[in-house]
Amino acid sequence: MSPILHRLRQPGAIRIEFQPIVRVHADHLEIYAFEALARGPRGTSMERPAVMFEYARRKGTESEIDLICIAQALISSAALPGRPLISINVHGATLTSVPDFAERFLNSAEAYGHSPNRLMLEIVEYRAPWAIETFRATLDELRDAGVHIAVDDLGVGASNYQMIVDAHPDHLKIDRHLVHGCSRDPWRKAVLQSVVTLAHACAATPIAEGIEDLADLEVLLETGIDTVQGWLYAQSMPALELAAKSAQILSPPIPQRMKGSCT
Amino acid sequence: MAAVMKRLLIVDNEETILFALQRYFTRVGFIVDCARELEEAEALATHTPYDLVIADLALTTIGSTEGLEIIRYLRNARSSARVIMLTAHGSPGIKREAYRRGVDVFLDKPRPLAEIARVAERLTGGFA
Repeated sequence: MSPILHRLRQPGAIRIEFQPIVRVHADHLEIYAFEALARGPRGTSMERPAVMFEYARRKGTESEIDLICIAQALISSAALPGRPLISINVHGATLTSVPDFAERFLNSAEAYGHSPNRLMLEIVEYRAPWAIETFRATLDELRDAGVHIAVDDLGVGASNYQMIVDAHPDHLKIDRHLVHGCSRDPWRKAVLQSVVTLAHACAATPIAEGIEDLADLEVLLETGIDTVQGWLYAQSMPALELAAKSAQILSPPIPQRMKGSCT
Repeated sequence: MAAVMKRLLIVDNEETILFALQRYFTRVGFIVDCARELEEAEALATHTPYDLVIADLALTTIGSTEGLEIIRYLRNARSSARVIMLTAHGSPGIKREAYRRGVDVFLDKPRPLAEIARVAERLTGGFA
């Protein structure tokens, strides 16, 4: 067996950090959700999640690694403050290739004390097309139980219109590539406006990833996107650290000229 | 203006070689990543634009040729990384195939570290 895979399978090898997803109101901020982000063993190439999942995909083990990360996220999130959504990533391939995924996920959630309607699954995909009937049936079962469904990295790779049509998400997470620098780029702004129109038509909530500065945030708010995630508010960190810093995260910045114009 | 540090990927399944190369190239100013498996190397290269790759030909068994797969991956991905391939078991046919796939320099093992360093310096236009 690969020593790397062996190590990833050891208890505690994969750590979970959380990054807040913040909703910007006219006069205050609200933590809308915490996204669970997996990190491989420290000091190894797998510490970078993109490398770890790329490696897992190439080894054909992304579903196994997904299940480890999901279990770790459900365990680690017990220490998070408040009652926002807990958002967990899952590959589309995992939804279709793991037998009874929905039942297993819901059972695990219950075992760790999480109500399904407090959970959100963010679908990431690199290998479309998938087994569409199983994909839809699994998502329907999760949705019926109350789990929120998000399409992750919207606008890049396989997170496209096909994914929206197949997944019927209630959240659209717009990839940072489209968000970062939108205040200086009319093309990005135009794409964001189209996503907002799409989200409204689908009764979905748009979430902007990768927000790093106030100028971009102002454009997002003007466009109608008030739910954001990024270093402007907080980097990812362990649950206990996040609990200690939640008040600090909820202090401004809120764009001054937007105050009073959003609810 | 400060020079941009060059990025190096070392691919070898022998820890002693990885350690020696990593230590040397870190000291001369490279940002170094190490991989021990083909899939690990490809995963790293997918997310990092390397300037230089130093790869062993055989990563699993004597006579295996995973190093050639790494070259193929890099070239298919339009990577501009320069590639040094090392092997203790290179036949003329393997060398021809490596050059055909886009390797820059093919070196037989064992080689003094200083010689590998000279080749690396030449390929990357000097160390930072």
